[in-house]
Formats: sequence, structure tokens, C-alpha cells
Amino acid sequence: MDLKTEVLIIGGGATGAGIARDLALRGIPSLLVEKGDFTSGASGRNQGLLHSGARYAVTDPEAARECISENRILRRIAPHCIEPTEGLFVSLPEDGPEYRSDFIRACGKAGIDALPLSPREALALEPRLNSRIIGAVQVPDGAVDPFMLVVENARDAESRGTRFLIHTEVTGLIRDGLRIAGARVRDRITGEAYAIAATWVINATGAWANLILGMVGLKIGLALSKGSMLITNTRLSERVLNRCRPPSSGDIIVPNDTVSILGTTSLRAEDLEHYTVTPEEVTFLVDELSRMIPDVKGERFTRAYAGVRPLLQLGEACDDRAISRGFALIDHGSCDGIEGLVTITGGKLMTYRLMAERTVDFLCERMGLHVPCLTHVQRLPGAGLGNALKDRLLHLRRQTPAARGEILCDCELVPREAVDAILREGKVRELQDILHRTRLAKGTCQGGFCVYRLLGLLNELRKAEGSGGSNVVLRGFLEERWKGIRPVLWGTSLKEEELIESIYKGLFNLAPEEPGRPGGGEA
Amino acid sequence: MTKAEEKPALFPKLPDVCVRCATCMAACPVSRVTPRFPGPKQAGPGAQRFRSASEASVDDWIELCTGCHLCDMVCPAGVPISEMNMMAKAKYLDERGRTFRDWLLVRSDLFGELAARFSKIVNPLMKNGLLRWLLDALLKIDRRRALPGYEYPTFRRWFQTRPAVPGITGRRKVAYFYGCFTNTNETDVGKAAVELLEAHGLDVIVPPQRCCGIPRLGVGDLKGAREMGRRNIALLRPTVRQGIDIVFSSTSCGLMLRHEYSRILNLSGAEELAGRLFDICEFLLRLHEEEKSTATFLPISLKAAYFAPCHLRSLNIGLPALELLRLIPGLDVGMLEADCCGLGGLYGFKNEKFAIAEEIGKDLTEAAARMKPDIILTDCEGCRMQIRHLTGLKVLHPLQLLRDALNRT
Repeated sequence: MDLKTEVLIIGGGATGAGIARDLALRGIPSLLVEKGDFTSGASGRNQGLLHSGARYAVTDPEAARECISENRILRRIAPHCIEPTEGLFVSLPEDGPEYRSDFIRACGKAGIDALPLSPREALALEPRLNSRIIGAVQVPDGAVDPFMLVVENARDAESRGTRFLIHTEVTGLIRDGLRIAGARVRDRITGEAYAIAATWVINATGAWANLILGMVGLKIGLALSKGSMLITNTRLSERVLNRCRPPSSGDIIVPNDTVSILGTTSLRAEDLEHYTVTPEEVTFLVDELSRMIPDVKGERFTRAYAGVRPLLQLGEACDDRAISRGFALIDHGSCDGIEGLVTITGGKLMTYRLMAERTVDFLCERMGLHVPCLTHVQRLPGAGLGNALKDRLLHLRRQTPAARGEILCDCELVPREAVDAILREGKVRELQDILHRTRLAKGTCQGGFCVYRLLGLLNELRKAEGSGGSNVVLRGFLEERWKGIRPVLWGTSLKEEELIESIYKGLFNLAPEEPGRPGGGEA
Repeated sequence: MTKAEEKPALFPKLPDVCVRCATCMAACPVSRVTPRFPGPKQAGPGAQRFRSASEASVDDWIELCTGCHLCDMVCPAGVPISEMNMMAKAKYLDERGRTFRDWLLVRSDLFGELAARFSKIVNPLMKNGLLRWLLDALLKIDRRRALPGYEYPTFRRWFQTRPAVPGITGRRKVAYFYGCFTNTNETDVGKAAVELLEAHGLDVIVPPQRCCGIPRLGVGDLKGAREMGRRNIALLRPTVRQGIDIVFSSTSCGLMLRHEYSRILNLSGAEELAGRLFDICEFLLRLHEEEKSTATFLPISLKAAYFAPCHLRSLNIGLPALELLRLIPGLDVGMLEADCCGLGGLYGFKNEKFAIAEEIGKDLTEAAARMKPDIILTDCEGCRMQIRHLTGLKVLHPLQLLRDALNRT
């Protein structure tokens, strides 16, 4: 099976999906390949922060302006992926009033609404804040669901004819002299290998950019930075809380759905596939963020995770193509003499749409097309759907069990009908794909009590067999789960884990092959 | 009133303690019989993660929690689930407003004295089909549920007007918290309590007291319940300060005074009061165990079934009434093995909840049918009403049988 398209996009993160949608809206055919599922990279491993840009106002006004502009656009086009929580920049005595003044001034210059609050006003809004704060500033931060945002972008593009191949990795780029003419790919589930011919190949693989470029002997200056985050069991605050000081580690708490996300650290990473959250990072985050909310010290955490950010280090020839300090669009034709290949990397979730717009603008220019970008005005397909917490609580309200339907995930109140609908669409290929598209396994028990219910469903639908049977799927899930919970396993979570472990080992007979190793998931 | 009293500080952290084991789901009498209530784990720590203090409540099913506390008792992690439900219910009903019926029912203490005075008129009226139909249609008080009759003189009046007991001076004093129902509807329970305490060599005093406020807690009226609590704490404080123990014969009043005043209502002086409060059977049993009493019982040849009310169990004092009953020679007494009678206090009187209360009670009906007792004994007036309704058998407070068995020679 060989395929042919106009534009081949590599990478199913926010940037790739955004480019696919932008192309589709401008009527340019494209095809996207992703080696895992959507948001498998940094797009799915961040804090889910809808930046107001205030964080960059002092240090990088250009990035701040980009952020606030994108912030306003996303509120308009993707209201269902966003919770407009607002955010506070909180000054502790050690942060001092000087930075606060600079900060308010810089926000003003960047066009970010910044409302100074007295300590009393801030504490009335967020009673769990440290009572020693000397002031706060309210800015239009928010929370964004990156999974939903990316999947919605893809869904919209798909409805306009774009083809998406997930679990499909690029094994090589096809060269035709000094031109890239497509890519060789392999389906990671079936093993099937084939070629995709394309006029343009877009490398939107984020931190993996050099892996693709290496296939044709190219390389860009890219450093990898690991950022770790912790997830609490319940929301700590109603608003995003930031430290009002120069950007640094451990300075933010983002409310996200039922939970809060504490971030972040910043460590050089070497390996893109294997990295863990270290005990030092956990201790650092808990210590540092307990300065903002003292309760953090006694809080129950459900998971720790890390993402790898691509940091641009463009030094030489290609500097002129870096159109923002935040991200870079590199035309390898003008840079390296290899036509038909474009790399877009760096940046952040907030600017995915802008990155897509600039990429497609560039392609249109090269194709000689004059079609304007529409992504900033055209709303995403699901816009208008309710996604508030209390809407989910309503699932429990219906009068009969038949009307209520089976609730698969008790912690996050995910009804079976939601999973059924995803399975009916026929787009998902693995357990993790389902988990990405719902809040299944994202709650208190991290799927400990609900994933086996899902396996029953998968089996009924004869999906589990393709992945090697339900036991293999379950083991795979538990291994991933264990990685996430182990760094924060103490207190009540540890008690609960004992119970979950006994369920999997005792009832499911999933004991590790080497006796005595903990967790069942380590098998 | 201080701010701290309004909102117990620990509350937001409670869902973190749950280990999701679902043991409570197996114990909840309500979710067992109706799909409309999602069960303690889901309604308490589960739903709590979705609730926001700044948003209006949507969880109308929270009203279906009877407040039986069975979930709290089985929870291995010590999550005060019913407390969480209570707070959610209070918030929901504060927002939605309570019905006139609920306003009326929780004030039975106010019209009880009057109804008792005119019991000869009131009692037949409460059995009148037309009136019951009207109450059902207008107020949604279910007409299938017998309303308890009023008695006159009230217990309090009886106590105040009875002749002095000879030889009582100089004895150790004990105070009695009788509760509204004993005062106006089942005065014999109060009389039995006084007789038993006196037979155990004590001088009974009845300090001024008000409704404990648990009916108001049942409709999530924290403000009203707090008001009742504050009054009782003030009224009972002189007794407590004199070092006099206070006993109660109604387990729900007792639970309210001993636990909820401090645990849910966070009232000042609640701990001090709780330290002096005892279930009457717990108190009498201790006298027997410490051999401080010479009271003995004469044989009664009866087959009796003892039912432990939910609120008694949540007091964590074992089953003192059952142990006392075992002191009666010849009494064949066994446990009535059922979890909850289903009435839930005023809950079972409400039209929309009647069917739930009936369904929960089925276990108890079946257990009683298996045991075939001559009589059923239980400490709680609500349970007594419900068990009479379910089984048609004679149902008494254990104190009443103990009084009958007293060796008065």
C-alpha cells in the first residue's frame, strides 16, 4: 500500500494537528503520521496552562504578546477545551514589591490585563494561599485540555479530508536528488511498511526533530529540557497560581479539571524515550510550592510525570528563519539545500496555532497560493459543548441505572457511553488511545479500579486481540501507571496501592515473574 | 459566632483519605435499594472532587442520604463520609430552599407540648383519612405512615408533679436528657428510665433542655441545628460543671449531643458536654460491671429480639442494652440481624422517600419473620415506629422491659 499526498506532516502533537487543520481550511490536501497517539510528546506532557503571557511580560515581551493574542483566539475557537479560571501572580515577602511593580508595568505594555490585588483580596479569592503574601496580580491565565485541543484540531481536519495515521512511524525520508519526495513509514501495530509520496514534508516532531533530520544527514541546534510535574488528588485552587518573580522552577500551580498540577523543574535531558521523575524533583516541587500554598505539604498526590521540551539553540546560518524567539520555522531548501523539507519546532502549546499559521503561510508562498489563514476565526467542531465538572456530576443524577448507564471510571465519572462512542468512531487502536480521549484513569486511583472494566469492553468489541490479548494490554498499562505513581507513593496513596496491588496480583494473577518485586506493574 | 464555627477547616481535605475500596458501597442501605443514590463513595469523597464552593450544587440526589452513618462505621480509612454528605446536602438545600413541610417537621418540638395538651383531639385527627389525604397532597407527608400519637401529661410534667421519692437525699445525682419524643409521645420510656436509675440507687434530676436539633440536621439546616446545640450546651453547662453525668435514652439525640455538636457543628463547649454524656444502658451496665448496683431482675419468660439502631452503632459503645437485657433471667433475647430499619427519622415520613424506607426495611421484616419473637426491643424511637409498621409486633425500648423485670423487694 503506497500513499500520495501534497503535504506530509510528521508528528501528531499540537503543532502537527494545527498544521493539518490550517492546511485543510485552506484547501490543501495533507496527511499526518504519528508514531504513537496524538499528544504523545510534549503536547500531552505539560501543565495544561492557558498562558496569559504575563509570565514572559518582563523577560520576553514579544513572547508575552504572542501568548495573550493566542490566549484570546483560543478562548474564541476552543471554549470547550478551556477553563477560564483566571490566574494570580502571588508575591511572597522574599519576592519583594519591586518585581511586582515591574511586572504590572510590563503586563500593561504587552496588552495583558493585570489587576493588582491586596493580600486580603487575594486570600478571599484563594483561601488556601499563604497568609504571608504581600500582594497578588490577577491576569487572564486559564487551564487548557491539551488532549482535547489536539484531537479536536485533528477531527476538524479529518472532516475536511485530511488523513491521520497514528501508531505509524517514519523509518526513512525518500530522497529524489536534492529533494525530499516523501517518507517510508511502518505501522507499529501491524508491522506493515509502505511509502508515502509528498511534495512537501513537514517535520513537526518537536523534541524528536533531529531524529527525522538525521535520516538525511541534517541537524539543528536543539537542547532537550526535562520538566517534571506533580498531580494532586483534588483541586488546590480555583485559579492558576504563579509566583511573582523572574521565571524559575517550582513557581506554578494550575487547576486542571478535578486536580491541580504543580510545576515544574528544568533539567537537561539526553534520552527522549526514557526519563523519570526523581525523588529530588518531587521534594523540590513540594517544598517550593508549599511556600505559595502551605497545604501542599500534606496534600495527596496521584501521579508525577515529565515532559521533554525542545529548546532552540540556533546559532549560525539559519538564524534568519527563526521568526520568533519561541519557535523556529526552518526551510531546509534555503538552509541546507534540500528542498521540500520544513522543520517547525520549539515554541509552546500556547502558540501551536500561530506556529501552524506561519508554516502554512510559508508553504502557500512557495506554492504560489493566496489563501488566507482561517484558524483564528473558525471555531473547532465541539465548541459549545459543556465540559464543566458539574456536568459530569450530573451523570450521577439520572433516575434509573439504565438512563445513568454504567460509569466506567468512578473517580472521574466517565460513563461507558463516552467510551462506546470513541470505539464506534473506529479511530483508536490501543488502550492508551482511549485513555487520551477521555479522563479515564486520570483520577484518584489512576485507573487501578477501572481499567479492567475497560478491558472487558475492549474484549467484547474484539479489540484487545490485535494488541496481543488483554493480559498483555493490562501489563503494559500497569507498567506505565507504576512509573507515574511510584515517585509520589506515600500516605493514603500507598495504602490504596496495597489494595490495588492485591487485586491485580491476587484476582488477576498478574504477579511479576521475579518474586518479591513491588507493584505488579514492574513485571 | 466565629468564622471557624461556620466551616470546619478540615473539610476540603477529606476526599484525600478515601482509598476507593468501596466497602461503604456494600453497607449503604439507600444505594442498595435505589439507583437514584450513587452510594457513599461516589456521593461523598468521589463527588467532592467535582464540587466547588463557588458554584451552585447540582447533586440533588444528596438529599437521599438518610444520615444513618453506616458508611462511616465500615470505612477502613476513617473517612467521615456521612459528614461530607451532610455538608453537601446543607449547601444544596441552602441554595434550593427547604419546603414548608421540612420547615414544619423539624419544629415538632415547638408544637409537641401543645399537641400533647390536646392529645384527645389531635390523636384521632392524625388518624383521620381526610386529614391524612390532605397532608399527603399538600405537604407530601405520606399517608401510609402512621403518625405517632401524643400523650398527656408529658414526661416533664409527670416528673415535676410526682410525689417526692423517700430516702433519695444524699444519693449520687444523675441528669436525664429525655428528648422530645419521650416527652410528648412515649412518656413511658422516660418513666422507665427514671425508675431504673432510682432502682440503681441514683437521684435523678431533669435539667432544662431543648430539642437536640437532629431533625434540622436531617434537612441540612446547619444554622438551625447550631442554634439548638448552642442552647442545649448553655442549658446543660451548670449540670456538667457540677460534675453530674447526663444520660440519654434516645440514641439519635445522644449521637447529636455527643458527636455532632463538636464533629459537624463545631460548637464551643461541645467537648466538655460530651465528656459527661452517656447512653443510659451504657451507664447502667457500667454500674453492674463495677458492682456499684444492687439492682436485680426477676425472670421474664419471653422470646425477645434486640435491634441495634444505626445511631447507636455509630456511638461506638458496643451493645449495652443487649448486655443489660441478658441480666434478666429467663429472657430469650437474640440479635435481630438487619442493618437498618430504613426510617431515617423524618425521612421515611416524606412522600418521595417512603418507598425507599419501605424497601430498606424489607431485610428487617424478613429477619423478624425468621426469628418469630414475642417482642422486639430497640433504643431508638424512629426504629420502634418503623418496626411496628413493618412487623405489627410489640416494640419497646429495652428500658421498658428492664423496668418491668426489676426486683422491687
